Amino acid sequence: TASKLSGRPGDSDPTGPQTIRDIPEMSTVPKGEQADPLVRMQEELRRALAKPVEQRRWIMVIDTRKCVGCHACTVACIAENKLPPGVVYRPVLQTEIGTYPNLAMRFTPRPCMQCDKPPCVPVCPVKATWKRPDGITAVDYDKCIGCGYCITACPYNARTRDLGENYTDGTPALQPYEQTPNYEYGKAWSRTTHDSPVGNARKCQFCVHRLDQGLLPQCVTTCIARANYFGDANDPDALVNEKAASPNAMRLLEEKGTKPSVVYLT
Amino acid sequence: MKPSTKAVLWVLWIIGAVVGGAGVFNRFATGHADANYGSYIVWGLWVSAYIYYIGLSAGAFLLSSLIYVFGVKRLERVGKMALLVAIITLCMALLSIFFDLGREWRAYRVMTSPNFSSMMGWMVWLYTAYFLLLVAELWFALRPDLARWAARTDWRGAVGRLIARTNGPLSKAQEEDAHGWLRWLGTFGVPLAFTFHGGVGALLGTVEARSYWHTPLMPILFLVGALLSGGALMTFAVAAFWPNRDEAWRGTVRLLGKVVLGLIAFDLLLEWAEISIPLWYGVGHEADLMRRVLFGEYWYAFWIVHLLIGAVIPVCLLLFRGRSPFAVGLAGFLVVCTFLAVRLNMVVPGLVDPNLHELQNAFTDHRLVFYYFPSFFEVQVTLAMVAMGCAMFYLGYKFLPLTDERRTA
Amino acid sequence: MKPTSSASPVSRRSFLGNGAFLGGAFAALLKANEEEVFGANGGTAPRILNNGRPDVPYDLNDAENIVYSVCMNCNTGCGIKAKIHNGVLTKIDGSAYNPWALFPHLPMSTAPHEAARVDGALCPKGQAGLQNLYDPYRIRKVLKRAGKRGENKWLTIDFDKAVTEIVEGGKLFANVPGEENRHVEGLRSLMALRDDKVAKEMAADVKAIWDEKDATKKKDLVAAFKTKHAAHLDKLIDPEHPDFGPRNNQFTMSWGRLKGGRDWFMKRFGSAFGTTNLHGHTTVCQGSLYFTCKAISEQYLGGSFADGKKFYWQSDLENARFVLFVGANLFEGNYGPTNRTVRLTENLANGQTKIAVVDPRFSKLASKAWKWLPIKPGEDGALAMAVIRWMLEHERFDRKFLANANKAAATASGELSWTNATWLVKLDAKTAEPGPFVRAAEVGLATPEKRTDTTEKGPVEYEEKFLLVMKDGKPVAFDPKDTRNAVTGDLFVDTALADGTKVKSGLQILKEAAFEKTVEEWCQIAGLESADVVAVARELTSHGKRASVDIHRGVSQHTNGFYNVFAWMTVNMLLGNYDWKGGMSAASTYGFDGAKGGPFDLTKTPGKITPFGISLIRHDVDYSKTTIFAGYPAKRNWYPLASDVYEEIIPSIGEAYPYPIKALFFYMGSPCYALPAGHTNIEVLADVNKLPLFFTSDVTVGTTSMYADYIFPDLTFLERWEFHGSHPNMTVKVQPVRQPVVGPIPETCKVFGQEAPICFESLLMALGEKLGLKAFGKNAIGEGLDLVRPEDFYLRAVADIAAGEKPEMADAVPDAGEKEIELFLKARRHLPKTVFDAARWKSLVGDKLWPKVVYVLNRGGRFQEHARAYKGDQLGNPYGKLLCLYQEKTAKNRYAGTGRHYSGIARYLPQADYSGAPLDKLAAGGELQMITHRTITATKSRTIGNYWLRPIMPENSILVSARDATRLGLQDGDKVKVTSATNPEGVWDLRNGTKKPMVGTVKVTQGIRPGVTSFALGWGHWATGATDITVDGQVIKGDPRRASGVHANAAMWTDPSLRHNTCLLDPVGGSVSFYDTAVKLVKV
Ligand SMILES: Nc1nc2c(c(=O)[nH]1)N[C@H]1C(S)=C(S)[C@@H](COP(=O)(O)OP(=O)(O)OC[C@H]3O[C@@H](n4cnc5c(=O)[nH]c(N)nc54)[C@H](O)[C@@H]3O)O[C@H]1N2
Ligand SMILES: Nc1nc2c(c(=O)[nH]1)N[C@H]1C(S)=C(S)[C@@H](COP(=O)(O)OP(=O)(O)OC[C@H]3O[C@@H](n4cnc5c(=O)[nH]c(N)nc54)[C@H](O)[C@@H]3O)O[C@H]1N2
Ligand code: SF4
Ligand code: SF4
Ligand code: SF4
Ligand code: SF4
Ligand code: SF4
Ligand SMILES: [Mo]
Repeated sequence: TASKLSGRPGDSDPTGPQTIRDIPEMSTVPKGEQADPLVRMQEELRRALAKPVEQRRWIMVIDTRKCVGCHACTVACIAENKLPPGVVYRPVLQTEIGTYPNLAMRFTPRPCMQCDKPPCVPVCPVKATWKRPDGITAVDYDKCIGCGYCITACPYNARTRDLGENYTDGTPALQPYEQTPNYEYGKAWSRTTHDSPVGNARKCQFCVHRLDQGLLPQCVTTCIARANYFGDANDPDALVNEKAASPNAMRLLEEKGTKPSVVYLT
Repeated sequence: MKPSTKAVLWVLWIIGAVVGGAGVFNRFATGHADANYGSYIVWGLWVSAYIYYIGLSAGAFLLSSLIYVFGVKRLERVGKMALLVAIITLCMALLSIFFDLGREWRAYRVMTSPNFSSMMGWMVWLYTAYFLLLVAELWFALRPDLARWAARTDWRGAVGRLIARTNGPLSKAQEEDAHGWLRWLGTFGVPLAFTFHGGVGALLGTVEARSYWHTPLMPILFLVGALLSGGALMTFAVAAFWPNRDEAWRGTVRLLGKVVLGLIAFDLLLEWAEISIPLWYGVGHEADLMRRVLFGEYWYAFWIVHLLIGAVIPVCLLLFRGRSPFAVGLAGFLVVCTFLAVRLNMVVPGLVDPNLHELQNAFTDHRLVFYYFPSFFEVQVTLAMVAMGCAMFYLGYKFLPLTDERRTA
Repeated sequence: MKPTSSASPVSRRSFLGNGAFLGGAFAALLKANEEEVFGANGGTAPRILNNGRPDVPYDLNDAENIVYSVCMNCNTGCGIKAKIHNGVLTKIDGSAYNPWALFPHLPMSTAPHEAARVDGALCPKGQAGLQNLYDPYRIRKVLKRAGKRGENKWLTIDFDKAVTEIVEGGKLFANVPGEENRHVEGLRSLMALRDDKVAKEMAADVKAIWDEKDATKKKDLVAAFKTKHAAHLDKLIDPEHPDFGPRNNQFTMSWGRLKGGRDWFMKRFGSAFGTTNLHGHTTVCQGSLYFTCKAISEQYLGGSFADGKKFYWQSDLENARFVLFVGANLFEGNYGPTNRTVRLTENLANGQTKIAVVDPRFSKLASKAWKWLPIKPGEDGALAMAVIRWMLEHERFDRKFLANANKAAATASGELSWTNATWLVKLDAKTAEPGPFVRAAEVGLATPEKRTDTTEKGPVEYEEKFLLVMKDGKPVAFDPKDTRNAVTGDLFVDTALADGTKVKSGLQILKEAAFEKTVEEWCQIAGLESADVVAVARELTSHGKRASVDIHRGVSQHTNGFYNVFAWMTVNMLLGNYDWKGGMSAASTYGFDGAKGGPFDLTKTPGKITPFGISLIRHDVDYSKTTIFAGYPAKRNWYPLASDVYEEIIPSIGEAYPYPIKALFFYMGSPCYALPAGHTNIEVLADVNKLPLFFTSDVTVGTTSMYADYIFPDLTFLERWEFHGSHPNMTVKVQPVRQPVVGPIPETCKVFGQEAPICFESLLMALGEKLGLKAFGKNAIGEGLDLVRPEDFYLRAVADIAAGEKPEMADAVPDAGEKEIELFLKARRHLPKTVFDAARWKSLVGDKLWPKVVYVLNRGGRFQEHARAYKGDQLGNPYGKLLCLYQEKTAKNRYAGTGRHYSGIARYLPQADYSGAPLDKLAAGGELQMITHRTITATKSRTIGNYWLRPIMPENSILVSARDATRLGLQDGDKVKVTSATNPEGVWDLRNGTKKPMVGTVKVTQGIRPGVTSFALGWGHWATGATDITVDGQVIKGDPRRASGVHANAAMWTDPSLRHNTCLLDPVGGSVSFYDTAVKLVKV
């Protein structure tokens, strides 16, 4: 994945044995076929994390037949990553098809596609964004100058611009839920100091800070329709791969040649 | 200039400076809060203005190189002014883009952490080189005159000594030397100006995600635009501010007018290509976008501002009143002023229509809309840049031997 | 650069110096919450990103930072895990122990530190729930009105002072122009009758008056009453009408959303005060769904029908093969998105389940349906009749199930419940109208027996006269409760008995109702193609008991709601799917009050004053028996079968019918906003002469509480206790426990010498303390069991849940081990003493129960294991009783508007007003029939301040079909005003000269039946932070985001036969009509 386009500064990504995570097994949690897929997929994360980062490749499958367009994923992501106004990682697109009374609706949640050929990466003038060995397209907020070029380059509009606002601006008092730091990339990013990520380009990072702990991305766990599957593309036994290999699998804007890691079932 | 005109200009400038200054203060105080660009229309007035100023700079510079490189004698007298204008507009451009950055104080990282695949990176490096080159060139261009001032005891002497770094007039050889440097720098500068301004075009043109921008014509369009707007600016500047309103001046203005006319024609030709190709069969994404530009909410930006005021009227003025310096100057003025609209119409439409259409209603706040009109705050900051540019020009005009005729006259 | 945003609240804080609002509550908190809090991973290699910035530990999924509780951003009540970081609630996720959020949920045996790692699902409102807790417009102090009602001028006032004023009364508003001399009667004076003995005697005497049928004798009884109780007549509202009850009844306590535990406090206060007027909001919600099902669940006890449960059934989606959803909005609303969606989508995707949806609007649920039937609103009864007719005609119903006449027969055929479909109904000799069931003994087919039955009200002695079925043409007398002798009956009976009594079986009567029109004709009324309807009916009857009809508000909230619900529930009876996997399921919960066993009996109220008299909303009583019977129509409707009739509370106060109300307490409800034509309520509330004292409990200055005299701040669902209970679709037995997850935002107060947050419970306890009610304070729960803090009740109630209902704690949860107890304490380390005091808590329940209490609280409630939800093909927690396909009790009652009998069988009724007149006159001039619906991101009043949800739908719109748009010349984005025959101006009259026009944005869509328009609930607020208010002379600016959109309830029709002071209503089930108004959209 470290293509010519990646522009990846090797020193930003810890690799090798130090990236192996020993996630303890949940011995009192019933697993198996009957379990909620969330339990099964979380279990599968353990397997993936037992390998060094360069041997994992995260992918997501979204079953649009199951998705009910509830936007829980959108909001869970906002809550987890403390996204300010103007920043959204996973909007859900709603398409209405047909004329009365023959109608259909399609819901398309749109996280970052974590493209294998990400057009957002080579455009960055300061190498603040790159493709990680596990397939995630990362942004180092401490490096990004906030020029917005990558935002224009993403065909999915998956990048947004943090302009430093708060949802409770203009109300009797700013509220603590947007003052506590978020945990992206395993660091504390506080908005109170107006330091990064304010001013930066921001995007979905597959909740890599949660993955690192053996936890599923927040949009996956909160999905009331269990329309999301997530896991390691290199693990043949992972549920996500079972789902990805369907005749009804497609990717968004395939013609753009970005090779997304997010697969849709239609 | 009539005192009354002068007074009006001063008043205008003060208003501009105060209103604009307040905007700049606001930018430092509250960041981007009052700007109307956001996450989807990520670039707005400031980026457009940046492209616009940088075009002016490139245009003015290329005009100067006609003199210093290609030795077009008839224009020689405007050479220094052109160089100064090129520097000033470049400064305006850089400040505009500085304000647009999310973390502007980290801009230096483009140098310390270069990414050679980034068109934006290239653009920055190129205009940095260009800036240095401009400064050098202006220095060499002014040095002989400044050196002549150096011996004086008034402020001119001080300015002369300070900048020319000599205490008296240069020797003939030294002047020749400066001239040589000028030619060399200019020669080097021409391709530089071409590449970097073409590069600005390429910065947009290479973005595959935005079909409106993604056309190979983009760099050419930018270059021609730069020449046109820069030329027009110089035409206006020379017509308006040249101290000796003599026949030579009239000749220069007329010539400049012809150049502008030609460039308008060429620019329109390119635009015709840009517009007619996607629109011919009227099908497809780009056709929709083009229709939106031409007949959408901001149709007037194209038809009224750009086409009518920025092209048709100037062309008429140049064609039918081409001998009147006033008319030519006015034509230049109109072209210059309206060219910002052309830039806005280039930057913004590229962003208004997402590839995933339904994004328009998926999650919307004031930053997450595919709709843009500059806020007053953005206009303020842009105004501040203009005021700053005017001030720089005035200072240069006042304190530098820009129009010193001795050598050329 | 923007100044550090922590700087900006400082200035705002000072302007809110009074501290009445949330501003400033976090000054200290925020400071402490900077990076210092994160123990940076000093020294170790970066885990994910190597950029010089130190890593911080991700500790949100550590059990010690999690408190389990229950969401209530809507009433679904999904289990949540509140993730707390440095005392700040930073994230909410679904609880893995809870069957709403994980499917199947983790068993309780899962170790908490492992369960903490599994995040369950939540809907977007649940994810945004913490924005209710941290709402900048929350109130922290008691507010007292300083201007006219609704003028939104307030003074902050000491809690204690406010309580004293309410109890003692006086010239409380002398500072308000016009009220200088108005004396307000306090609660102490209203609590006139304080002697329970007298109350009991009076109650018995009133009952005697009611039971007397002869008018003159009734009068005599009233006279006798007056003589007998001469010493206490001053305690009555009106001695001429002893059945109005004591003056205590002039204090009404009302609520919107009241859940377990808080309902205990409410009822306790009510019975200690001796008022009969405790009324909830059920009828605005889905009243007729509850009350029809109550009527269906009436059991044959004591010779008649009693003990019907206020509840309803929903489909078990987990095992369904086919579901017909009618007026149910699963993915966007309902009970609820989180739990029901997960049980459906996988089944839909893998083809196990097929669904059809009846809804005038193309809902998200409809988008997943095999068939969408865009019905004409309000005609669901007609569609049900079409389906019933088709099923009967084509013999596609469960004959075997319906033939069972008693429990023994049900058991014999492997059924858990049974119907009275075969029981013979006596027809009126003259009109041939079906009346009560035939009693075998009355027609000489059995000998009566003296028996005793136990009903909820206690044992009743009665004479069992037996019922009758026809078996192979011969009458058979039987005992419906017989568990040994199975009796089955003929399904269709239309005959005369030997003595000439004309009889029919219930099923026969149903058939006749359904056969009144052809399928084609029924479909025409419903506005549907009969081919579609038949296709759906065929599918519905092709999956045995795993097919069902799941209904909700779209069916019940009409003037014909009761019978619509009845008809669809009858379809389910025809399918025989009750208590079967994939069929009809009912909720099942662990009790918390010890009523069915447990260590603490929390059911007794010391100092109780037996309430008696007609209630303000005239429910549970037969109009014709009362002393104010004045023929038909009655001035207002009476509700023998329904309760909690929300739309009656305030308009009845307005008309002082049956008697005037002096004081009203409202908790967590906004009738002005929620009710159709809610503006009629504003008119009354704003008038101090109609309602002298009005106080509320609210979290913000709400759309109704803004008319109050006093607003007491409350704790949000994230700071308080409650037992949320369950919903019918939840097949496992549960009791989710809501508990404080962070410290309180409101200020504290002192009640019974204890410092506690100002909240609903504190308020009632403080009123109780001041009034000297024995129900609160020392020994209030029992000898040595005080009730001086909310926890005194809640902890013991949790102990009851933990101990289970079986004797000897046979069904108790295990003990929490030492480590778990440690974890329990650690996870609450951020809680202040005012809400958490470990030593005290432990002492409340005792050492033995403490580990069990901890076990339950560590899991956010008690949840049966998923496997136990089913037994074979049936439900593990079945309803298991008689289902009334024919309702004797219903048939015996009369419409107060017409004097006609209610129908005992499901049937189609057209829309009508209270007097029974059709609505045509109102409809003239209307262009579109307006309905309303939920959208996933909004509830009524709680989500408008959930800023994370705003961008998904910044404002709601007025949906107009593309065809209508063309017809009416409307375009997407047009601003239109919603007007109707009863609100031609199209405004909310907020009084004091303020009118809020009902202006919304048109959205043209294919997805709605032409002729119908709809708007989503939850926008168009005029309070709740939407507008400026003045507190202590300072203006607190409203937030325009909270005022966005339109709430068109005020356009919904008022009832002409009720003097236009009340919305249209269902006179039987009490439901209000939400969907039957014709509106005109006027471009603005
Ligand atoms: N147009 C339209 N209207 C509808 C409906 C519809 O579908 N469409 N649906 C109806 C239904 S189903 C229902 S159930 C009703 C509900 O109607 P109500 O039961 O009246 O509920 P709300 O309108 O939500 O009123 C809640 C009030 O409680 C306050 N509140 C919120 N949280 C708390 C709290 O924690 N404590 C206290 N003390 N107060 C609190 C709020 O500020 C608000 O004033 O609305 C009905 N109204
Ligand atoms: N998001 C969200 N969820 C909620 C709530 C909330 O406020 N917001 N509130 C909770 C509460 S209190 C309740 S009571 C439930 C209500 O849950 P539901 O009753 O399932 O929700 P509504 O949207 O009120 O459902 C009404 C549906 O009936 C349709 N409808 C309207 N008129 C008719 C008609 O005449 N016939 C038929 N067949 N359909 C009709 C509407 O288009 C809508 O889809 O939701 C609960 N869940
Ligand atoms: S979706 Fe956009 S932001 Fe994400 S990797 Fe692809 S191009 Fe980059
Ligand atoms: S916004 Fe940041 S990440 Fe994007 S291109 Fe500019 S510097 Fe790179
Ligand atoms: S993976 Fe994480 S960051 Fe990406 S959309 Fe989902 S929740 Fe947001
Ligand atoms: S949470 Fe699941 S069902 Fe809801 S919008 Fe996201 S993917 Fe779809
Ligand atoms: S459905 Fe959503 S809002 Fe309602 S209780 Fe569940 S999570 Fe909360
Ligand atoms: Mo409701």
